[in-house]
Amino acid sequence: MADAILRVENVVKRFAGHTAVNNLSLDVPRGGLFGLLGPNGAGKTTTIRMIMSIILPDEGRITLFGEPASRALSSRLGFLPEERGLYKKMEVLEHLIFLGEIKGLGRADARARARRWLDRLGLGAWTSHKVEDLSKGMQQKVQFISTLLHDPELVVLDEPFSGLDPVNALDMKNIVIEMGREGRTILFSTHIMEQAEQMCDRVVIIARGEKVLDGTVAAVKAEAGNRNVALTFTRNRERARAVLADRALVAHVDDSGTMAELELAPGAEAEALLTALVGAGVGLSRFEVVEPSLQSIFIARVGPGAAVAPASGDDREVIHA
Amino acid sequence: MHKVLAVLRREFLSRVRTRAFVIGTVLGPLLMGFIVFLPVLLERRQTDARHVVIVDAASGTFGGRVEQRLNGELRDSASGRHRYQVERVVTSPDQIVATRDSLVAMTGLRKAPAGSISGILIVTDTGLAAGRLSYLGTNVGSPSDMNAMERSLTRVVQVERLNRAGVDSAIAFSALRPVDLSTLKVSEGKLTGESGGASFALAYAMSFLLYIALLLYGIQVMSSVVEEKSSRIMEVLVSSLSPFEMLLGKVMGVGSVALLQLGIWAGTAMALTTFRVQLAGLFGVPAAAVGSLPIPAVSPEMFGVFLLFFVLGFFFYSAMYAAVGSMCNSAQETQQAQLPITVFIMAGFFGMFALLSEPAGSLARILSLVPFFAPFITPVRYSFAPLPLIDLLLSVGAMVIGILVVVWIAARIYRVGILSYGKKATFADVARWVRQS
Repeated sequence: MADAILRVENVVKRFAGHTAVNNLSLDVPRGGLFGLLGPNGAGKTTTIRMIMSIILPDEGRITLFGEPASRALSSRLGFLPEERGLYKKMEVLEHLIFLGEIKGLGRADARARARRWLDRLGLGAWTSHKVEDLSKGMQQKVQFISTLLHDPELVVLDEPFSGLDPVNALDMKNIVIEMGREGRTILFSTHIMEQAEQMCDRVVIIARGEKVLDGTVAAVKAEAGNRNVALTFTRNRERARAVLADRALVAHVDDSGTMAELELAPGAEAEALLTALVGAGVGLSRFEVVEPSLQSIFIARVGPGAAVAPASGDDREVIHA
Repeated sequence: MHKVLAVLRREFLSRVRTRAFVIGTVLGPLLMGFIVFLPVLLERRQTDARHVVIVDAASGTFGGRVEQRLNGELRDSASGRHRYQVERVVTSPDQIVATRDSLVAMTGLRKAPAGSISGILIVTDTGLAAGRLSYLGTNVGSPSDMNAMERSLTRVVQVERLNRAGVDSAIAFSALRPVDLSTLKVSEGKLTGESGGASFALAYAMSFLLYIALLLYGIQVMSSVVEEKSSRIMEVLVSSLSPFEMLLGKVMGVGSVALLQLGIWAGTAMALTTFRVQLAGLFGVPAAAVGSLPIPAVSPEMFGVFLLFFVLGFFFYSAMYAAVGSMCNSAQETQQAQLPITVFIMAGFFGMFALLSEPAGSLARILSLVPFFAPFITPVRYSFAPLPLIDLLLSVGAMVIGILVVVWIAARIYRVGILSYGKKATFADVARWVRQS
């Protein structure tokens, strides 16, 4: 991809106890939403920290806007870390001006932009309140504004929707989608596959520091084939166990209790599965051949064990001076 | 530089705007004024003469001489007030204990007919021969009271002994008159009009201010790092700022607050000393009493050296405090981790006292080249006598080298420390952080 805004090439990052990122390569094209997916401990945050030049990779190369990544490019990047935090005693507007200034904005410019954004997100009345007076959701919005204040070309969001109540999460989600539509490039990480599936144009899925899947959401799904069946049980859930365990019919199951998504075994027909389930006396309210979800594709590739983070030793990071 | 200034401004404003800063800045001068005028006010308060009863069991005129002597002692020559109100009870040696005990019982009675008794002085022949008299009183804890009484009694005993050896008491008295040494400081070939006491007061006040300011503001740097860590804003900062920019902005921001506060205090101190007579007048203190206080004159050069060494010392110590802050996860953890630094600051402060006797000695010269102690030692040496320029430059040079080394090490600890959470860093961890690239 010639016009990649971000290119990660064969990057390796080791900490004392383990390898957090192993030979990872990915290209983020200009414009649109790009999802970095994986379970907790997969190496998402470490990858993002390397992209932000907070830590340096041990091997490999990271290129931003066609230049080697460095903190000198930080004014063209917006960053929302996984761990949110603001100075509690500062006034909201002052705080945003400060965060704008360390991204290279002038004071007056930062002030005008901050006001515009605060108004846009419905925080216009809170400009001279201290950060600690704001609700948690409002604080998250303030921090979110700080990542966009300097109009960055690439916005990097680490788990942007975690810890938000549903209303605020929806607000933020809409802003992210809108920015993607405006042509800005947004890279965000999440461990919730459904979220990425709804929002992203392209995804990279990583597990245990290694890349598992890479491509547009549509291509990833097409490659996995339409051999998935979604089930919703109404009664006698336990009678389905034997049927779902039959490897002649079912390749693997992503079981979530009253609902399950499964991939048919090679050569097996959906009708045979339905007959078997009805024959076993299982009550069903839904039996549908569906596009596979990212979650089920991911589990099919790495097995459910990949969701477990590796035991970490001393993984202190050296900040790139 | 733009970014460093933004950090500096934030650190400065977020401190100066707090109530704690305003209160501290106002209370400082009040405290200083209090310290300056307290002795004067206390002096005025003690208008009552000490009521002393002499239990006289000595033969001859000795008891009478003691009474006469104490009666003649004045509290200060200006007002002509007496130091003692004396009564003499003549008794025989075998009655001393009984007399003493009944008098001791009377010291507790506030409304005794003769007024409350402060003390009982027992005068005996054996005491005179051995040079041991005994005094029982409510004020024996006061060194100044006891010194004054000892001085007076020494004179009487000396005169009495010479008298008994056949020397005329008038001759004995004039021969024993003590020398009053008045000291004035000479500096750069000129008479400064400053007394020795004032020089000491200045050295003490400067070291104390340096000690307090370095400790106070160093710890502020440390807790501000810990706060950034625990509030997790560090994550945002490290993506925009290099650890060195953060460290520099923070140290300079807190340092400017310290300079502002010290400036206000020093300005107030100068105003207090310049207008002390007028100010004392407001409290009804006579000018003569104020003039006798050991208040030093601060020359602009002295003030400059003081500020220079504060700034150098602040960079040196606050870089260390910042590194310690970055190693800790919470304010509680810093309590223990900061101890080594605090010990050095205290050593520098108390080391100053050891040097007062010999400010130009070789130990003093060596210590002014040690960055840990130079911020205290060099200004104090300068206050006694302006140092040769070369000595001053050597001390500053040693500080600058010390600062560069400390900042280099601190920055290396800092860049690892600020993103490490959870487990408390061990000494071995920190040593590895410094080594790794």
